[in-house]
Amino acid sequence: MKKKFNLAPVFFVGPHLILFIVFILLPTIYGIYASFTKWNLLGAPEWVGLDNYKTIFFDSTSTFHTQFFRGLRNTLMFVVLTVPLLIIIPLMIAVALEHKKVKAKSLMQSILYLPGLISISAAALIWSLIFNKQLGITGNVFGSETVWASHQPYAWIMIVVLTLWGGVGGNMIIYRASISGVGQDLYESADLDGAGPIRKFFSITLPSINFPLIYTFVMTTAGAFNVFGQPLMLTKGGPQESTSVLMMYIRKLAFGSGESIAGMASAMAVLLGVVILIISALQYYLMNRKSA
Amino acid sequence: MSNQAVVDLKKNTNVTPKKGGKISISKYVAYLFLIILCLLWVIPVIFGITTSFRSQTEVVSSGFRLLPENWIMENYVAILENTSTAPILRWLYNSVFIAVSHTLLVVVVISITGYGYSRMKFKGRDTLFFTLLGISFFPGVVNLIPSYKIIDALGWVNTAWAMVIPGLAGMGNIFLVRQFMNGIPKELDESAKVDGASDFRIYFSIILPLVKPILIVCALFSFTGSWNDFLWPVIVYTDVVKMPVTAGLLLLQDIYGNYRMIGQLMGSAILAIIPTLLLFLFAQKYFVQSINLNAGIKG
Repeated sequence: MKKKFNLAPVFFVGPHLILFIVFILLPTIYGIYASFTKWNLLGAPEWVGLDNYKTIFFDSTSTFHTQFFRGLRNTLMFVVLTVPLLIIIPLMIAVALEHKKVKAKSLMQSILYLPGLISISAAALIWSLIFNKQLGITGNVFGSETVWASHQPYAWIMIVVLTLWGGVGGNMIIYRASISGVGQDLYESADLDGAGPIRKFFSITLPSINFPLIYTFVMTTAGAFNVFGQPLMLTKGGPQESTSVLMMYIRKLAFGSGESIAGMASAMAVLLGVVILIISALQYYLMNRKSA
Repeated sequence: MSNQAVVDLKKNTNVTPKKGGKISISKYVAYLFLIILCLLWVIPVIFGITTSFRSQTEVVSSGFRLLPENWIMENYVAILENTSTAPILRWLYNSVFIAVSHTLLVVVVISITGYGYSRMKFKGRDTLFFTLLGISFFPGVVNLIPSYKIIDALGWVNTAWAMVIPGLAGMGNIFLVRQFMNGIPKELDESAKVDGASDFRIYFSIILPLVKPILIVCALFSFTGSWNDFLWPVIVYTDVVKMPVTAGLLLLQDIYGNYRMIGQLMGSAILAIIPTLLLFLFAQKYFVQSINLNAGIKG
């Protein structure tokens, strides 16, 4: 006897499956395909094989070659500058907040979390006021005569500060929840052995929150590779394109005014995607192995 | 703080057994660190707010002050009157409409889909789920340009649909809901099934009330995520009237003449953060609720 086909799962899983196919699967496949084409976004893409990739990698006279490697270098710069701080500072906050004798925890946690709710464009407007030579804090309080957005290393400092201000809250909450889940009996027996706070941190806290650490490290890094809003709003990619990140070039090539070079932009996007995937996998592998 | 306390700390960190050493300098270190950070975190917002109540002459001439000499409302009046180049109320309305519709749909989609992948039995269920999850790890930057083409083909450029619908396809929230539902005892719905309840009935009357906490958390993050999205609206919207406020603010730097109207610029930024701040005040305990990844893994 053949069992009657059950329609119910189709109803429950089907709608999202369609959304997934239309808005994630097909665009991803098409994005990879488009990277092998010459495409102006309007007409049909014209297959050119590996031409885009060859240009990006080997044609040092081409602007695409220059833009890709400059964009990648600046993106990596952002990742290297922000990711360690986005792990370490939230961890320090979480440990401080978990201190038994500290009061007003939820008020302080809220203050530190709040900037994460402020959109990058509003946050950037506020911070560019602070970094304004005439009007802001850097000029008036610290007497800095420099226009920060157009001088290095100040342009990077602005971007890093804005990123930290908005970014530490999310990781802090994950760490805090994880640390509060660590068994109190572990700390109590450490107290009996006379272990100090630093010793307890490295011997108990850190090993116990191993998974949250891996998770936030991988996610924060992958997120940092997609950086776009901070340099666009604060420095417009300057000075001398030293903060122009890859996402800015990809957007300009695909959607900017003038000629759209969507095939080339797709190739750069695929390469950025591959870099993110490799680094995420590597992080996951290395951290998992170390802790095992 | 006495020197004695410093000595105590040194002893403590050196693992010298000093049972019940009561004076804990670590408390003061923690306080100092937290208070400095909190000040650094809150001053920019205060400075932005007070500057929005300053006249341009005061901003330029008076040097740094945290509070204005004269509180003025003119900046806000000017912002609200400028409905042609910077229609901020319209942008705020767009953002609220987009974020609310997106959030409501997210809750519907993730609860239904989570039920499907967690509580129902069908062939290849887990294979399908983990395949989708695996694909979704592929960085979104690759599908950015084709996604725009799809939105364009659907006629959704410069409409709210472009912001509301594509984000529903994500897997992150569904993963969380599925994990949460897996923790609910199977006997609950199995006995209901024996009594002849349909899947829809079980979903609606039994599972949905039980997963409310995780749905609230997902809803809040979806709302703020949608509200603060920047790259996608900057790509999808060219029509000033239709765009959400995040994209609108990008235009302001030019509209307000590169800081020649700093009060208006700050006022606009402040208006743009009010809705998420209000949401946070009302739903604070859910925002900062424990997201304990350790428990998620072991449990």
